[in-house]
Amino acid sequence: MAQPVIFNICHLYPDLMNTYGDNGNIITIVKRCQWRGIDVKISNVSIGQPLSASDFDFFFFGGGQDKTQIIVGKDLIQKAKKLIAAINNKAVLLSICGGYQLLQNYFKTKEGEIINGISLFDAYTAGSKERMIQDLLIEIDPELQNEIKNVYPAIEQSNCLTNLIGFENHSGKTYLGKNSKALGRVIKGAGNNNEDHTEGAVYKNAFGCYLHGSLLPKNSHFADYLISKALERRYGPIKLKPLDDSLEWKAHNWMVDRVRNQG
Amino acid sequence: MIDIKLYFAILIGKIISYTIKIFRGGATSAPGLYALKIDPLLIKKLSKQFKYGSILISGTNGKTTTSRITADILSSKYKIIHNRQGSNLIRGIASTLIQQSSFWGKINSNLGLWEIDEAVLPEAVYNLRPKFIALMNLFRDQLDRYGEIDHIREKWIKTIKSLKEDTQLVLNVDDPGISILAQYHKGKNIYFGINSKKINLPKILQVVDVKHCLMCGSSLIYSTFLSAHMGHYKCSKCNFKRKNPDFFAENPVFKTDFSTSFDLCNQSDHFQLNYSLPGLYNIYNVLGSIAIANILKINSQTIITKINNFTAAFGRFQKVRIKDKKIIIFLIKNPAGANEVIRTISIKKTINLLIILNDKIADGKDISWIWDTNWEMLSTKIKNIYLGGTRALDLAVRLKYSNINLSNKDIYKDINYSINNLISSLNNKDTLLILPTYTAMLEVQKALFNVDTKAKWHNQ
Repeated sequence: MAQPVIFNICHLYPDLMNTYGDNGNIITIVKRCQWRGIDVKISNVSIGQPLSASDFDFFFFGGGQDKTQIIVGKDLIQKAKKLIAAINNKAVLLSICGGYQLLQNYFKTKEGEIINGISLFDAYTAGSKERMIQDLLIEIDPELQNEIKNVYPAIEQSNCLTNLIGFENHSGKTYLGKNSKALGRVIKGAGNNNEDHTEGAVYKNAFGCYLHGSLLPKNSHFADYLISKALERRYGPIKLKPLDDSLEWKAHNWMVDRVRNQG
Repeated sequence: MIDIKLYFAILIGKIISYTIKIFRGGATSAPGLYALKIDPLLIKKLSKQFKYGSILISGTNGKTTTSRITADILSSKYKIIHNRQGSNLIRGIASTLIQQSSFWGKINSNLGLWEIDEAVLPEAVYNLRPKFIALMNLFRDQLDRYGEIDHIREKWIKTIKSLKEDTQLVLNVDDPGISILAQYHKGKNIYFGINSKKINLPKILQVVDVKHCLMCGSSLIYSTFLSAHMGHYKCSKCNFKRKNPDFFAENPVFKTDFSTSFDLCNQSDHFQLNYSLPGLYNIYNVLGSIAIANILKINSQTIITKINNFTAAFGRFQKVRIKDKKIIIFLIKNPAGANEVIRTISIKKTINLLIILNDKIADGKDISWIWDTNWEMLSTKIKNIYLGGTRALDLAVRLKYSNINLSNKDIYKDINYSINNLISSLNNKDTLLILPTYTAMLEVQKALFNVDTKAKWHNQ
């Protein structure tokens, strides 16, 4: 890495979509870049602000309360074309809960009202009476597991790289369309809909899921995967410097064991 | 009139209550729970006899402390019944009533003072028909239990719409999500708030739960941010704005010994208060109590004396001296509250800290909020730090990402062990600050008692 490496983050609607500690994902990306000498630039883009999507390597889109989600949904339609173009151009995106829902085809509320999404993910969400609130443990899609193994630099942990752990809190049930791939398979918890054992969605380098917690500090392998994918686009294949993640893994494994052993 | 159902419910409640006492249990809700199964109207029937009616106090943060200050002041003039043990659900109210009642349902009090959980406010209003309701604030808290704060507010609005004109609301004007409630109330509203534009606490990045006008959806413009979404605001479009409070604080000063002073003002008068509670929140708690006391015609001198001599509610801010070492406990339970605690303790030059994070039901099983909390602010102040609780490891990760250095030996899930270790390693001149979540706080009390059964509980 001879040239100075800069990592450009776009935080979508940070003022409105920030429930349940999702900001921890941004903190994690920033720190893990800085610890490796990678400069990070964060741009906040919210309602009514233009999105020059091609400037960014990484987009983050968190969860919000129902009311704000409707306001954000309307604004997102204006930004849809540019955002989708950036993803088609290999930019990386992580969306959680409300953000994930707005990137789908549509959201149908309990009352039957339709809120249009931007169809980045071929999926839809239907409001339900059931609130799914619990720890969520998934096994990552096998193909993605392999990619993570190739990228994550602390190889001594290679046998742990198969799961993601987090906390879900949603009443919307998400159903994937036939063009969609899930992020993983539910081991404990509800995931997309508490019916088909899928959790999340993947389209190119865009990921959606219900994993709060925050997700990335609890799953450093996935954080590093997102960082390396985002840098690869601009700088070609990059070998990330390994970090001492022993504390992160201790926390991750302790929680995975506890959730597995719950009745 | 003989009400067999009621007498039987009281009898069963009392039997359960005595049984628990014999076995030294701590559950304060069981008698009420079972008595209500026998007579669901028990609260309604028993609370009718209070000559001056009931006062409800609710909100995410500060309801326990506000209730206790209010009880302290009001007891100078009224015979109060108060769910002081902190069981603030419907069954907790029933338990308190049963304990204070004779076998025939006679209660020797003339005023009810009830701390009420946010989620059960509608039920409490239905059962108690209060004359006064004080609403302190609404923040995200234990969302795994409640869903979203918008849902709570909607429930409150529905309840407020159903209130008769003779109920008075006491509202915090600095929280737009609280002051908006006045629009739905037919009766009188009394407002309190902090009028100062600047306060001598460090600025802190806050999580804001109300960004938009709750009338028209346009963005809110703040001229002053005090804490989270509390401050001086107006809508950018419609005429919703912070109202002028009837009781307000000016010139607050937060001192390093964790005492506070401010000028208490109303439209015609002002007095200086000097009391031993820390932080911004306690100003709101004090103001809320003053507003209630004023409506209930307590004279100013009594109010001032009572507040200046008040000591904190169990664990909220509690000073203990053990083996010549000074320990102060600050309860943390949600990001808004924890951020205020961090801000309050950051006025110290150096800090010895034990943070205990549990994720039991009473703490909230979702610990994501630690990522909405500004631990970064403490990174240059920490002299010693230790972590404990069921989720100590997650907390350790959070602190690692806040530039706070930890070693493995600083993290123990077992609270007894951490506390013993800490007390023996502490210098006599140092103060240990303990920040526990709710169930951890109960464990801390026990652990401290085990270390020294003669521990001096300064503020109990």
